[in-house]
Amino acid sequence: MRIGHVIGRATMVIQQASFKGGRWLLVNPLDGSQFNDACAKRPALSAQPTVVVYDNLGAGEGDIIGFVEGAEATAPFDHPIPIDALNIAIFDSISYHPL
Amino acid sequence: MFVARVVGHAVSSHCHPSLKGSKLMLCQAVDADDKPVGAPCIAIDLFGAGLHSKVFVSTDGLGARHLVHDDSSPIRNFIQGIVD
Repeated sequence: MRIGHVIGRATMVIQQASFKGGRWLLVNPLDGSQFNDACAKRPALSAQPTVVVYDNLGAGEGDIIGFVEGAEATAPFDHPIPIDALNIAIFDSISYHPL
Repeated sequence: MFVARVVGHAVSSHCHPSLKGSKLMLCQAVDADDKPVGAPCIAIDLFGAGLHSKVFVSTDGLGARHLVHDDSSPIRNFIQGIVD
């Protein structure tokens, strides 16, 4: 699971029926140095490329979320679904203390 | 599977049901000289690894699904063992 900051949303006019009920978030993955105060104040944009993440937990802009990528992102669905990244946690706090 | 150092933890009250009850540890992959490699990731911990413990992190999604007893769990990374 990677940690990212929701910086926007994408809206589709036409999309597959299996996506009903969810939405698409634009997520900027955070760098380690941003973890500690990410939940308290809006982190700056990191240099990492933005990811489009499917969300059915209800995350909004500004939230710090945990997302999985790859085959595991499709595991919660009982039918085949073309998803690359899925939001699985909205964080209340993160503590980061590197050695 | 890779060797990592526990560098923190995260708290989430709103998450996938299969994550409930497991600790979410921030794990930083390290090389043979204990130098960090790449970005930290989050792994679930059912064994009680502490801050700055050296651990094995597995990236086997099927193993993670068995561990949390949920076939529909999206978890991939889990702490498989604590290095003595």
